[in-house]
Amino acid sequence: MAMAVVIKDLEWKYEHTTQFALRGVNLEIPENTFLGLVGANEQGKTTLINCIKGLIPHSFNGVYRGSVEVFGQVVKDTTSLHLAREVGLVFADPEAQFTAMTVEEELVFGLENVGYDIRKIRARLEWAAEVTLIGDLLDKSPYDISGGQKQRVAIACVLAMDPRIVIMDEPTSMIDPLGKQFIFDILRKLKEAGDRTIIVVEHNIEQLAPLADQLALMRAGQILKVAPPDEFFADPDFLVEQGVYSPEVTLFTGWLRRQGRFPASAPLPRDLAGGVAAARAALDMGGRA
Amino acid sequence: MSTLIEVSHLDYVYPDGTPAVFDVNLTIDKSEFIAFIGQNGSGKTTLSKCLNGLLKPTSGSVIVEGIDTRSRGVIKQLVTKVGYVFQNPDHQLFNDSVEKEIAYGPRNIGLPEAEVMARVREAAAVAGVGPDHFATHPFFLTKGLRQRVAIASILALKPHTIVVDEPTTGQDMPQSIEVMNFLQRLWKEEGHTIIIITHEMSIVARYAQRVVVLGQGRVLLDRATREAFAQPDVLKQTFVEPPQITRLGQVLNPHLPRDVLTVEEMQARFEAARKK
Repeated sequence: MAMAVVIKDLEWKYEHTTQFALRGVNLEIPENTFLGLVGANEQGKTTLINCIKGLIPHSFNGVYRGSVEVFGQVVKDTTSLHLAREVGLVFADPEAQFTAMTVEEELVFGLENVGYDIRKIRARLEWAAEVTLIGDLLDKSPYDISGGQKQRVAIACVLAMDPRIVIMDEPTSMIDPLGKQFIFDILRKLKEAGDRTIIVVEHNIEQLAPLADQLALMRAGQILKVAPPDEFFADPDFLVEQGVYSPEVTLFTGWLRRQGRFPASAPLPRDLAGGVAAARAALDMGGRA
Repeated sequence: MSTLIEVSHLDYVYPDGTPAVFDVNLTIDKSEFIAFIGQNGSGKTTLSKCLNGLLKPTSGSVIVEGIDTRSRGVIKQLVTKVGYVFQNPDHQLFNDSVEKEIAYGPRNIGLPEAEVMARVREAAAVAGVGPDHFATHPFFLTKGLRQRVAIASILALKPHTIVVDEPTTGQDMPQSIEVMNFLQRLWKEEGHTIIIITHEMSIVARYAQRVVVLGQGRVLLDRATREAFAQPDVLKQTFVEPPQITRLGQVLNPHLPRDVLTVEEMQARFEAARKK
């Protein structure tokens, strides 16, 4: 499988700090797959995605060792303009990226900046607005809409550039449950389309798990574990020690397994349906092979 | 139980004409732990700002420990009854040292300096802010510590009721558990009434004794947490789902109970269900 991102022995220390924020990261992300990046705060998650986007080392000073390749191109030696087309990044705080007076101008800004013609701009605008359900917000000010709507506009701006890699840094941390659901619906659509590599940093493991092809756990500037969900959630107690709480159903079936009421060889379920099947079997109600 | 706050037929309309709260009736007693939940724009924050007189009712009334919040000249009394901790501690911290920050409230209400300093020491100790931090500028502290300083500056006014707006937003699980355990200690050991505004249902399930669900400015549900989460249909109106483990019990009811709040509780009650 072709690789979208290949990171080798990456180390990074911000200027004026004493400790390395990244301490030997190795990670491969296959093209058109979905990676969930999890871990406690201050472990290097945001620093790592800044290295994939190229903000590090192009916009930060510090000590850089090792390499990051995006579709075979070395990020350190690639221009920001080129990276802007390949990699889109949505910040946790959507206002951090707004500059225009209306949502439509905001969406068009990046497209005009890279010099697309008007027909291409219109097509991209319409597609991005449709995926994120913001068609009715186009003439509003980006500061005049709800937090959840702001986040959808921020995502639309990034999608409009049609990057082959989309990165979102805690896209739901600032918004309410209904707004969160919208964001996870957008992520689901992008995953189902299957034509893009998606990287999401997120504390909401319950919603993230069903979307991810792989999950990577960061701890103290390193990737401690990277695996598909079945394997990633095999040891929920280990994850708790690293500050990551598995879905409640996973924690519960982990307990059933310790009681000998869930097969040791089967992966622990993460969603409600899987949890219901496991609980039924453990209650001797049948319903599980 | 003695009543601390009595909200009757409260309407609040912002000066620009935006209506935010309609006909809210609420009685808050001593030593309660309450969660206000609902979507953004549902009136949670407006309602909580009416509780300490930051906002005055457009109609109806809010009586705090016998004081009508509409009366003139009561704000200095009200700040000693109900404290409000902002969602982002940086919106609240403005002094150049931790000590001045915590001392600001007691000084502002005109307490003698000896009393001010005694309160600073006490509030900082309760909030877990060590004296070694007193001279530090708040912005050089970690987010968790800044939040503790924000809470200490409220505690120094000794309010019976403390409202905390989204205490866990943007925090990871270990940080969320730390701040919630701290609020639980204020509730259990110090006897404060705690009101949290939050979107995290697993936090509500684990810590709050009572849930007030708001939708479009009205109270849709006001129940003990266990009863509230056992009514997923009402919660659905405001797009809130009970925790995953609660839903598991509801799917398998009557074989499992429909009002389980945490994984540990499900484990205990699962044993009982099996023995039947």
